[in-house]
Amino acid sequence: MTHLHLRQVSKRFGAVQAVIDATLEVQAGEFVSLLGPSGSGKTTTLMMIAGFEEPSTGSIELAGRQVHHVPPNRRDIGMVFQNYALFPHLSIAANIAFPLKVRGRSRAETEAAVQGALALVGLQEMAARRPAQLSGGQQQRVALARALVYQPKLLLLDEPLSALDKNLREQMQIELRRIHRQVGITTLYVTHDQSEAMTLSDRIVVFNRGRIEQVGAPLEVYARPASRFAASFIGDSNILDGVVGTAANQLRLPDGTLLHAARPLLPNPGGGASLLVRPEDMHLGPPPSGADALTLQVLSVLNMGPHLLLIGQHGGRELRIRAPVSATALASEGSTVTAWWLPEKAWPIPPP
Amino acid sequence: MRRGVPTWLLLLPAVAYLLLVFGVPLGNTFWMSISEPTLGLQNFASILTDPLYARVYLRTVLVAATVTLLCLGLGYPLAHYMARRSGVVAALLLGACGLCFWISYLVRTYAWTVILGNRGPVTALARWLGVEPPPVLLFTTTASLIAMTHILLPYMVLTLYVVLARIDANLIRAAHGMGASHWQSFSRVVLPLSLPAVVSGCLLVFIFCVGFYVTPTLLGSPRDMMISSLIANEIETLLDFGSASALAMVLLAAVLVLLTVYDRLVGIDRILR
Amino acid sequence: MRRPEAPSLANALFAWCVVGFILAPLAIIVPMSFSASTSFEFPPVHYWLGHYRTYFSSEGWLLPTLNSFVIGIASSVLTLLVAPPAAFAVNRREFAGRRALQVMLLTPMLVPSIIMAISYYSVFGQLGLNQTYAGIILAHGCVSIPVVLIALSASLRNLDRNLERAAAICGATSAQALRLVTLPLLRPAFILAGFFAFIHSFDEATISLFISGREVSTLPKRMFASIHLEADPVVAVVSALMIYAAILAMAIATFLRQRRPA
Repeated sequence: MTHLHLRQVSKRFGAVQAVIDATLEVQAGEFVSLLGPSGSGKTTTLMMIAGFEEPSTGSIELAGRQVHHVPPNRRDIGMVFQNYALFPHLSIAANIAFPLKVRGRSRAETEAAVQGALALVGLQEMAARRPAQLSGGQQQRVALARALVYQPKLLLLDEPLSALDKNLREQMQIELRRIHRQVGITTLYVTHDQSEAMTLSDRIVVFNRGRIEQVGAPLEVYARPASRFAASFIGDSNILDGVVGTAANQLRLPDGTLLHAARPLLPNPGGGASLLVRPEDMHLGPPPSGADALTLQVLSVLNMGPHLLLIGQHGGRELRIRAPVSATALASEGSTVTAWWLPEKAWPIPPP
Repeated sequence: MRRGVPTWLLLLPAVAYLLLVFGVPLGNTFWMSISEPTLGLQNFASILTDPLYARVYLRTVLVAATVTLLCLGLGYPLAHYMARRSGVVAALLLGACGLCFWISYLVRTYAWTVILGNRGPVTALARWLGVEPPPVLLFTTTASLIAMTHILLPYMVLTLYVVLARIDANLIRAAHGMGASHWQSFSRVVLPLSLPAVVSGCLLVFIFCVGFYVTPTLLGSPRDMMISSLIANEIETLLDFGSASALAMVLLAAVLVLLTVYDRLVGIDRILR
Repeated sequence: MRRPEAPSLANALFAWCVVGFILAPLAIIVPMSFSASTSFEFPPVHYWLGHYRTYFSSEGWLLPTLNSFVIGIASSVLTLLVAPPAAFAVNRREFAGRRALQVMLLTPMLVPSIIMAISYYSVFGQLGLNQTYAGIILAHGCVSIPVVLIALSASLRNLDRNLERAAAICGATSAQALRLVTLPLLRPAFILAGFFAFIHSFDEATISLFISGREVSTLPKRMFASIHLEADPVVAVVSALMIYAAILAMAIATFLRQRRPA
């Protein structure tokens, strides 16, 4: 069932088009990430869903109700802000009780709900403290508890982990995942961190320059990016540009090498076309039959711990290969190696 | 998304208040300047042609300029020193300047009547040094210059300090690193960067000084009147509302010109930041 | 840390001399107030508390003091009713003519008091407001508007917009957000602003000299008369009391500023 529905939503600030024709359907209970670099329109989209910005055109529907003209306090949405935005003058318990207080709930009901929310985020013993006395991760949990305590129809998270250090961030990702499963609330998560989006989401919405470029499950977006931007923004990528050969799935590189794609290429009117091959899909050594291969001049070999990252060059283009540590024997800086991959791992993307 | 109380309604109380309690009295004074005792510009004609008045204007400008220069001369080194010291010393000095904002200028004026009076410490010192007769300071222009400098100095110091303290110490290190002497790094780096604050502080002090009334009246010589005292005098002793109003309008015009310059160079709304 | 451009000795000496110049008059007042002499003599020959006794038993001093308190409190309350909405508008809203309006709201502070003094003198004379509390309160409230505006602006600008957004998304109406979040967070700023407005009124002399009469004479007016005409040593007591109050006020203000949530 579609829970949140954006129909051709656009937002213009003066001469700037912040969001262009965003259309998106989110199912009840889904965890969806809005992923993109800063200025890509993801935050503006979130602000329009929350009600802090009004769409210039288009409509937003939440749980069967048109909400784009409804003020934020009557949308019944929970939100966690980038800087948590906890009320500094109120205790943790009073912060969490705030949404219930303004809704005029009874004292007993409020008390029980606050206890429940504190238990959910594991901060029962912090109830009497002030926000300033808590660590960043704890403040994060309080913000989450405050956003969930009134059982809103939708949870919005605006880069909630960006202020935390790396270890805490990973811990909070697990925590977010657990809470989402436990509560089952439909969640929109804004982030510019692709790995965060990959780990957490059921689906990822890729934003670029105000437009939605792709919507899909994390692995699908990773393996079958719909645009050059999606290909390069998510994960490491090797993009090979050339022209269409004799067959629709055949790419001819400028030096004449012929490569094959998993499906027909997406040529522009001039015949230009491109392929994406992920670094982990490229292998070193003699290519088996049916594989495509390139000879590379090795520029550098970086030991990344569990694997090697080999940076090589072919026809002026830099390529990256993720190889097992055992491949050290095959490649050293300055040597020439053959890299191969199976055509089904070569995904056509639009040419530049 | 804009909602809640409309902006005009938020502004209404303050704007209405100022129109009624600030605009109307000023408008009335303007009206009096051209209608007392008869309609016409004769008040302006007389105050702008009378050499007696011209001397008062000139004196006011000279006094204000002297006070401004004194404030700059005393204030800049202090602000510079404060900005280059960190921690307790700077906080202490800043507190000393800040304290003055909390103490009535009347109290400070009174203190100078004691210090400069004929039974005060300055006279005692002069006597002790053998200066006979000791210099008469109270009820002279010198006395009001000293007191006005004292009262306005904190404005200058704080205006300068805010900007000087913000100058990146690394810039000065860099200047030294490139071989600049202390004087060169000051004149080529610090001084140009602080020039806007110098202009701002000087204009502020000058504007306040031009309209000063209480201090010159209590400390200055009755013969060396400034424009404020002249205005008061026209009303209190001569009951000449027309001349007083016209003088007030001339002073207002001068201050508005200065404020416009200030606004162009610094921006009056910057006071809010 | 010693900075490489540490000030020279000459600079330091000069700076401390200037600070001495700034503080000397204040340092002189306090011993003066304990002087046994009946005129402005420094250093005093004998010390006693007699002038304090005179001050605290003289109606001629206590009444103006009371008047100044009444007028100061009333005008700061009046200003706190009128100015904060404008401070909100000027700092939080975008509208045509915002800059011009800011300048307009600040001018009462920048126009010389003597101009306002004679303006009130003639207008209030026609309205029967001269020598009344109402007249002085209205006049002081006018100059306090920019004072309150300045005192509130910094806090309004520094207030995290996300806190109000958080209140709204939690379901608070704009009135609830104002009452439960914005105003409590701005409370120290409001106290400070009211304090500044009070001090401003309490210290104001020029306008009071013209429009306050015998009945509602303010403390500065009384002091002015004393310094000007009679050389009454009780002025030293009043001045000393005002210095004690200023030091206390500054301590409180510093405390409030440090408590203000970032």
